[in-house]
Amino acid sequence: MKYDDIIYLLPLISVGTGAVVLMLLSPIKSFNISKLSWVALFFLILSFITNALNFGEVYSVTPFAHLFSSMFVIDTFSGYFTSIIIAGGIVTVLVGTHYFDKSDMLRGEIFSLLLFSVFGMILLVETKELFSSFIALEIASISIYILVGFQKNYTRRVEGSFRYLILGSMASIMFLLGIVLIYAGTKSTNIIEISNYLASHKSQDMTLVITGGMLILITFLFKIAAFPFQNWSMDVYDGAPLPITAFMASTFKVAIFGFILRFILVDFHELKNAWSDILFYVAILTMLYGSFLAVFQTSLKRMLAASSIVHTGYLLIAFVSINSIGESAATSIIFYLIAYFLSSMGAFGMLSYIASDDHLRVTYEDFRGFSHIRPYMAAMMSIFMLSLAGIPSTIGFIGKFYIFVGAIESGYTLLAVIGILATFISVYYYFKLIALMYFYPSSEMTNVPPLKGIPPLIIAVMAVLIIWGGVGNTLISYFPGIDFLIDTAKFAYQSLFIG
Amino acid sequence: MDIGLLSFIIFLPLVVSFILLILPVDMKVTRNIAFATTVVVFLLSLSIFFQFRLTDYMQFREFHPWITSYGIYYSLGVDGFSMIILMLITTLIPLGYLFLWKTKKAKGYWASMLLIQTGVTGALLSLDLVLFYFFWESMLLPVFMIIGIYGTGNRIFSTLKITIYTIMGSLFMLVSILYLGVAFYNEFGVWSFQLSDLVQITILSNLQRTLLFFGFMIAFAIKIPIFPFHTWLMQTYSNSPTGGVFILSAIMAKLGIYGIVRFVLPLFPHQYVEFAPYFVGLGVFGLIYFGIAALMQQNIKRMFAYSSASHLAFITAGIFSLNAYGMTGAAFLIVAHAMATGGLFLLVGNLEYYLGIRTISGLGGIAKKAPFLTVAFALMLLCIVGLPGTNGFVSELLIILGLFQYNHYVGVISALTVLVAASFMFWLFQRAILVKTNNDISELKDLDKKEIFGIFGLGAVIIAMGIYPHWFLYKIEPTIQHYLLDILKVGVAS
Repeated sequence: MKYDDIIYLLPLISVGTGAVVLMLLSPIKSFNISKLSWVALFFLILSFITNALNFGEVYSVTPFAHLFSSMFVIDTFSGYFTSIIIAGGIVTVLVGTHYFDKSDMLRGEIFSLLLFSVFGMILLVETKELFSSFIALEIASISIYILVGFQKNYTRRVEGSFRYLILGSMASIMFLLGIVLIYAGTKSTNIIEISNYLASHKSQDMTLVITGGMLILITFLFKIAAFPFQNWSMDVYDGAPLPITAFMASTFKVAIFGFILRFILVDFHELKNAWSDILFYVAILTMLYGSFLAVFQTSLKRMLAASSIVHTGYLLIAFVSINSIGESAATSIIFYLIAYFLSSMGAFGMLSYIASDDHLRVTYEDFRGFSHIRPYMAAMMSIFMLSLAGIPSTIGFIGKFYIFVGAIESGYTLLAVIGILATFISVYYYFKLIALMYFYPSSEMTNVPPLKGIPPLIIAVMAVLIIWGGVGNTLISYFPGIDFLIDTAKFAYQSLFIG
Repeated sequence: MDIGLLSFIIFLPLVVSFILLILPVDMKVTRNIAFATTVVVFLLSLSIFFQFRLTDYMQFREFHPWITSYGIYYSLGVDGFSMIILMLITTLIPLGYLFLWKTKKAKGYWASMLLIQTGVTGALLSLDLVLFYFFWESMLLPVFMIIGIYGTGNRIFSTLKITIYTIMGSLFMLVSILYLGVAFYNEFGVWSFQLSDLVQITILSNLQRTLLFFGFMIAFAIKIPIFPFHTWLMQTYSNSPTGGVFILSAIMAKLGIYGIVRFVLPLFPHQYVEFAPYFVGLGVFGLIYFGIAALMQQNIKRMFAYSSASHLAFITAGIFSLNAYGMTGAAFLIVAHAMATGGLFLLVGNLEYYLGIRTISGLGGIAKKAPFLTVAFALMLLCIVGLPGTNGFVSELLIILGLFQYNHYVGVISALTVLVAASFMFWLFQRAILVKTNNDISELKDLDKKEIFGIFGLGAVIIAMGIYPHWFLYKIEPTIQHYLLDILKVGVAS
């Protein structure tokens, strides 16, 4: 047993320790929200740094292979996703502190739960075995069930939490059943071994495995809120406190996509084809239905929730084309996820920062004339909207560009055309907000938080990253730009095949 | 890292605009610095004009990797055709600023005007299709802002309408661009979105090419606009502030035409020839249709909007006439029309500034009150109707010759329409400007010094180009010949 491997586990360990420490600290009266948030930040940043230490090259290690019986793998891929997840946690804590501070019902445990869920997500992108992925998914999910309903005096929160709990448990049951069926068919739960088994038993009847695979697919589709399992997300996203919504919509989604990507890139032969046929239709319906939902929302929070369904649809396009163009489709997914993470985390983060003093300010109308009161905030919000809409000069455009190129390259031009159609519809609901902020005289808004402190700063950094990721590095050489991001995404992809 | 002249022309307004937005300067300083910037850009483009060599090659090339994994380059260049449009843009904008000088708009207005300039020059000079799309789409945002914030009437609806309309068109173009890129990759095994590479694709079937051709054409047809994609035009023009109408009519519409010649023509030469009759037909139809629509307008701004659409349809007919007369004429009319229409919208904006929005019958008696304005108005109108001695004459004559060569009936119809339109313009001039009525125009002031300088500077160019067209034509001739002989292979009869 090599003890050197522990260095690869440090990110996980520090987040886990942080969660436990926060849990112990939270009953102490003298530790208020702001002090606890610094503790949470300390552990998250520590974890981010220890994760970043491994970064740069293509690597893949299986730490303590005997102890964990090769259930976990730490590679560039997981490192990439871990850094997004931890960044999501950091932004949530920073933006959330302001929000939680203002609502007296939220208490210190919230950070402990947040770190537990980050822990689960990191575990999720590192696992290559089905049972441990189930456990990781549950650690992350259960923490989020609680976080959604934490303010127990609001019925909407409790309702959202309960709905999520019930439906999420149903999905988990499907997942478990799927694992069991696959185990029954292949005598293994390790995805590499399953793949090998399927390759060596081509003539055998695979009904069990395909049924199990379908059940797992359903769980995926539920967790990423794809059609026809999208309805929960609207109510849950709407019911949750805004920072938690931000966390769920951007970070949790990224983690789940990371896991599915690892899963889907393994060659499951027959299962793979069965999936890809279904995903083709699911992608189309998800984009169209999500667009349809988003157009009619009056609440910004619900609009962003619906638009996150549309973005799931764009990502599913790339999942469909993965069969014929593995590397570029997978790279486009990895790239799109970071683009989506930056834009949606920024938008939700900004929204929760603004709404924190006044919990009602979440509809379109509330933003009427906002640019006259807070010009910089309005500008940042516009950048997030433009990036979500995929307008050139933002990272969102580059992300969409890759996905659509991939779809055309693999022969799914229809998917690209429908994706473009959904993009076109999305222009309406994103630009509506920009129009409202800029084109009306300022309305009487009270309690708009000022543009100072760390939360707006971190949001501004995200806005700058979005522009930088969209414009790239033609002017300043030697500074990482789009090419750097794409190369990183490629390394992440390649690391999946060297373990 | 070296920054070329073209990059400097493109990005100087952008950089200045950002600096102005961030610095706490007031509107006046913003305006003055913005004006100075456009003058600098004008001088730079003048140096390009004089250094320009008489060949059909792309000159002043700039080539830097941008997104290397997909072969997307930051690739700029200028040939005869884009050079005259570049000159047009960089000359018109500072002259237009002199007219917009007195508008009491916030500094965002001037910053947006600078951003638009970056967008249009960038789109004009890009030779990589993704880069082109990048600028093409980016120039929409400042237009969106200018109409939405500083417009009048139902401005929010109009700005959403034009934005959604044009984005729809551009998205069709985006799919086509991506499709071409993938086709190139499938054929040659490397990614590229360079125009010079994409023209080499041979594996696409005729049907695919036709679909892609229309994918591009929709984007440009909406921007120009070609009938039946003109429905955004009227509302947008009447609700935009003067600067917005000026940019839309004088510059952006021309970029649509430019896009057809720069990209559609070399990429799909076969389809270009095949569908040319339809577009000539649409062009002549638009010439008549928009002409009649213009006749029926009561509001002077709406009238010019339709007459501008009518001329743009005429230019479209010219570029599809497939001969040197028609194409050179179209290139020349792009310039002539941009100057005259731009000037007219600025003058109308001036009337609106003092008198508010008025119908034609609500004006009159302006000649006595504002002699300079009257002379300027007359000059621009004469250019629009194509009086000999103005560049409008040269270009309309060339297009009509081209259309005659294309088809005698089409030539006759368009010549007659242009004549009727001319007489109508004079009638308008008489009613709105000359005739004495009882309307109260005491608020009206004549042009001030800056405006006189601006409008007569424009007038001087118009007349110079009308009397010595050769000075300007010889720069674009090699390019046009190259298009016709080498790409379309239709031969030149001149």
